[in-house]
Amino acid sequence: MRGPTLRVDSVSPFGPAVLEIGRRSLIRIVRMPSILVPTIVMPVFFVIAFTGSFEGVTRVEGFPTDNFINWVGPFALVQTAAFAGVGAAGTMATDLENGFIDRLLVSPIRRSTIIIGPLAYTAMRSLIPISLVLLLSIPQGASLPGGVLGLLMALVGGMGGALMLGSMGLAVVLRIGHIRAMAMVQIVAFAFLFPSIGQVPLPLMSGWLHTVARVNPATNLIRMTRQGFIGEVTWAETWPGLLVIAIGMALFTGWARYELDRRAP
Amino acid sequence: MTAVIGRGRWRVGVEQSGALIVRSVVNTWRQPGSWVPSIVFPLMMAGVYSAQFARATDLPGFPEVDSFLQFILPASILQGISFNAGEAGTALALDIESGFFDRLIASPVARQSILIGRMGGGAVVSGGLAATLMVVFALFGAPIEGGILSAVAIVIIAAWLSLAIGGLGIAVALRTGSAEATQTLFPLTFMMIFVSSAFFPTELMSGWYQSVAEVNPFTLIVDPTRRLAIDGFSFADFGRALFWTGTVGVATLSFAYRMYLGRLRRS
Amino acid sequence: MTIYPVEATGLVRRFGDLTAVAGIDLAVEEGEIFGFLGPNGAGKSTTVRMLVTLLRPSEGSARVAGHDIVKSPNAVRRAIGVALQDAAIDPLMTGNELLRLQAVLHGLGRKESAVRTSDLLERVGLTAAADRRVGQYSGGMRRRLDLALALVHRPSVLFLDEPTTGLDPTSRLAVWEEVRVLNAEGTTVFLTTQYLEEADQLAGRIAIIDDGRIVREGDPRSLKEAVGNPTLRVEVADPAMTDTARAVLATFGEERPARTGRLAIGLEGGAARLANVVRALDDQGVPVAHVELDSPSLDDVFADATGRRLEGANSVQTE
Repeated sequence: MRGPTLRVDSVSPFGPAVLEIGRRSLIRIVRMPSILVPTIVMPVFFVIAFTGSFEGVTRVEGFPTDNFINWVGPFALVQTAAFAGVGAAGTMATDLENGFIDRLLVSPIRRSTIIIGPLAYTAMRSLIPISLVLLLSIPQGASLPGGVLGLLMALVGGMGGALMLGSMGLAVVLRIGHIRAMAMVQIVAFAFLFPSIGQVPLPLMSGWLHTVARVNPATNLIRMTRQGFIGEVTWAETWPGLLVIAIGMALFTGWARYELDRRAP
Repeated sequence: MTAVIGRGRWRVGVEQSGALIVRSVVNTWRQPGSWVPSIVFPLMMAGVYSAQFARATDLPGFPEVDSFLQFILPASILQGISFNAGEAGTALALDIESGFFDRLIASPVARQSILIGRMGGGAVVSGGLAATLMVVFALFGAPIEGGILSAVAIVIIAAWLSLAIGGLGIAVALRTGSAEATQTLFPLTFMMIFVSSAFFPTELMSGWYQSVAEVNPFTLIVDPTRRLAIDGFSFADFGRALFWTGTVGVATLSFAYRMYLGRLRRS
Repeated sequence: MTIYPVEATGLVRRFGDLTAVAGIDLAVEEGEIFGFLGPNGAGKSTTVRMLVTLLRPSEGSARVAGHDIVKSPNAVRRAIGVALQDAAIDPLMTGNELLRLQAVLHGLGRKESAVRTSDLLERVGLTAAADRRVGQYSGGMRRRLDLALALVHRPSVLFLDEPTTGLDPTSRLAVWEEVRVLNAEGTTVFLTTQYLEEADQLAGRIAIIDDGRIVREGDPRSLKEAVGNPTLRVEVADPAMTDTARAVLATFGEERPARTGRLAIGLEGGAARLANVVRALDDQGVPVAHVELDSPSLDDVFADATGRRLEGANSVQTE
């Protein structure tokens, strides 16, 4: 009945538990596909809408490219991937509300499983918007002078954004314990992504926005993701983005873990 | 169905609707989390866009405005309302999830009042939201040129609009009974707003996108509303905005009503 | 020193200014069904959530299955089975899937999980519904599934938080039966309930909690006996003998109000002395048409401890 040499306070094997929690997320998607609608619709929309609505802005003197998709496509990528991350945290919110999380919490699994499981799912889920944006940018006339490295940067940037917002979502959900918390996380996501170089370059911005966008971490993330679409991939445009992802992840997963420990031993 | 003796069914219905409207407004007020974002979020976007696109107002084809901030006012109101209306849908979905909805149905409340209560509450909140946003914009240097008359007109349009947009959220809540599913509507409405003249003039768009944006009901509502704000009050613009709001409203509300009857049948 | 399956010392939980549990001491014996009885909001669920490691105690300590709930929570989790009040069950999943998930979470291997899953489904009578989504289950089926989920890893202590709240009488009996069987197999059961009958039927020992404190503890019978003497009602067949009967009865206890044609006393010494009463009446030639002995109920115990009735208060809340 008992395993061979379990320590008294030992936990269940980590891998199978993460896999099984991930499997459950997939089952939920298959049975309630409406959950995924925004994750699919948003990329399609942003690629089309950003270019469609604001392409006129490239006519303003000093805009660095006359093909708006090369500029705004990577922004759409980061943004929709980030929102896919928030959506993944929404699953956790639902679990908290219906008490399913209690089932995980009273299981002898490593506490970090409860955070890593959803994040693994977040990373997978972010691949949907990332690939959709890339595919949709092609007919809009996007080019990728940065080549394979540029593509990799887009992947890292998108997934990093998703994981950051996903872990922030987890922390907020664990703190507030209510699905409405997701709306707040969405707002925070907007609050970071919008006052950035997402839509127009720094020189075109006026006053306060110029200052904010310059120091906004989202600017570094977008610059890293975008570089391959504008020119060659360089370390100088890469490391600040990586740093943002590293710090963000450390901060938010730490916060989520703290909230988890605050709830239960 | 309503076992009330001596008083007209209508009067009872109106009283009950009133009570439910009050409940809905009070509920909203007591949960700042549900309405603060609908003010903060549009303001944030307005602030960012007016700094990003400050130089775009000089482009040929851009309407005559003092600033991009003035241009974007109707968009901000629209956004706030859509956010709010989505909240109403979510609140209803939570009522369904928690069983409160079934209890209401089981109680001798005129069934239509349940829907009217939710929607009416949303309309009141949206009118207040529009007024608040106009005051804030005025403080930041983008006043309503049409004065008090235009301002009142915009509040009325906002209240109607919340019924039109709210109908959709209510419909999805009734259909799915899931707060998670209903919350997905907010980004969808946001997209509709995007593909309209709300954030950028259709004159500066091109191709099929421009054609779609020109016939988007939100464009048809936003353009006359914007003229009320930047050119001054005119009955023609007020009427146009109300007409299109009403058309959208009839469509979404009848959809919501169908979903409502469907849920009554199921429960 | 005995190791109790559940042992709490000075357990306190505060939420902000509210003290939900205000210092609880408990010791549950090996192999018993321990009933934790109290009205809604008394602190039952909060206490259970602390004992099953879902909530940190603000003060005090507790050991479950010999392990400290804060210092070795995973050892506790390994040893206990938990079925929580709102049956935390994902409606989109099937019974089968949930059981497998639960098995893996408790460290069972794939093969073992599959075997255990089908065994448990059969045990709670859900084999036919195994591949249906839980959303389509009835209330009773959900509770049974919840029970099966709690049993996946063969726990030595089982926590059931209001296992029958909201169930129809038939489903309730089915759950009771299952709990009895489990207990007979050696599982210690910690059961919270707001139903007097449930505590009375199932629990070998109960604790009554009110306002975050335990106000009475013991086995149901002695608790009831402690409240006072049972009421003995006698109907005399010949009205002419009523006064004789009254005199005889007066020697066994204080007279209590009764309806016309009957006599009632608080029988001192309880049921054990019933035979003496009957004999004494017979000795005096009193023909008896009817005798009944009503023991004090747990509600009387609750009323005695708190000054309030539990029975009426709860029937309002159960829908």
